[in-house]
Amino acid sequence: MRKISIALLPFFLLACTHDPVNNSTNQINGFAPVYAVATDIAKITIQPARKTEQAGKIYAIGNYIFQNDINKGIHIINNRDKKNPVKIAFIQLPFSTEIAVKGNFLYSNNLSDLVIFDITDISKPALVKRIVNAFPPANQTYPPISNGSFECADASKGIVVGWELKMLTNPKCRR
Amino acid sequence: MLFTSIFFWQCGKDAGSSQFVASVGQAGSLARFAIVGNYLYTVDDHKLVVYDINNAGDPVARNTVDVGFGIETIFPFKDKLFIGSTSQVYIFSITDPLNPQKLSEAISPQVLRRCDPVVAKDTVAYATLRTNGACGGMQSVLVFYDIKDITKPIQKGTFRVSEPYGLGYQDNALYVCDKSGLLVFDITSAYAPLLKKTLNDGNYIDVIPYQGTLICWVIGGVIVYDITNNQDPLLLSKII
Repeated sequence: MRKISIALLPFFLLACTHDPVNNSTNQINGFAPVYAVATDIAKITIQPARKTEQAGKIYAIGNYIFQNDINKGIHIINNRDKKNPVKIAFIQLPFSTEIAVKGNFLYSNNLSDLVIFDITDISKPALVKRIVNAFPPANQTYPPISNGSFECADASKGIVVGWELKMLTNPKCRR
Repeated sequence: MLFTSIFFWQCGKDAGSSQFVASVGQAGSLARFAIVGNYLYTVDDHKLVVYDINNAGDPVARNTVDVGFGIETIFPFKDKLFIGSTSQVYIFSITDPLNPQKLSEAISPQVLRRCDPVVAKDTVAYATLRTNGACGGMQSVLVFYDIKDITKPIQKGTFRVSEPYGLGYQDNALYVCDKSGLLVFDITSAYAPLLKKTLNDGNYIDVIPYQGTLICWVIGGVIVYDITNNQDPLLLSKII
């Protein structure tokens, strides 16, 4: 969730010598709200291995590496052969960001719920428990990371379930 | 970090199945979940929650502790939790695992905001800090604290970096993810890190030193290095 917007730095440096207000089209990498409806949030399935889209947090245990795909799910990687790691499955887990494992159980989040998977069969994790509202919902007004401009949230578009980095044109909000 | 690397290897009941093997794994420095023994600690924006995971498949929330604002990371070290926020580092004792007690708050006098993540090793804690410098730019540093007296962390020094993210260490090597690359420091002298190497195989966000390898979260996926020689990582694989 930490700021990944490396592109922000040159923007700030530029501000030393140029007045960004004079730029008619100001394109920067910044945060925009992610909206969702309740039915999308609950779609949890086990999928074949897939390419990483937006790489997220990592977790290592034994010969396995787990990597979150931000807000999409968790890649399961067999790293037994250190030079040839193999992705073996993907837990489609909407709006997940966190990973921890104890024994045969994996903990993550499904938006604001804590979810627990039995990973005894590592290629077929099974959801075994959900603790609802374990975490507060995403901030509806501003992104988790400050120091820049961002796209203003619009309540008419739905519930803000998270904030993602993307190229923004003339973002109106700043924090 | 040290005691989570004690593993209990099990045999699967069915030789043909892919049974899971280790007890507890290792998270990066940007994690919001931390497992210590039979307890799972989670941090959200402002509070710390303790779950009893004696029965790993059936966590039970047992306690909630208000910490502060802008909480972003949690790092377990021995019987302490280091909690990084946008403004400071909170140190909690978990001698009583169900009742975390706040011991101290470390605030860097040079830093107005952004202070995370943090890792601890023996009597030193390392954190990456970002601050608002002159003309709206950013000047960021790696900062080191003396934590011999855990209730009174003392800032011992800083090292200028570009734009730091996660960090981790193994023995006398400290790895810092930075916009300029993966910085490898010699921390034989704990309060005087020596930059030995900068790697540029990707855009690094966080690291997990784990069983002789360095697992890196990079934009696009994972990069793994062999760190048998811990100050000279060798590229093993890229996972996309």
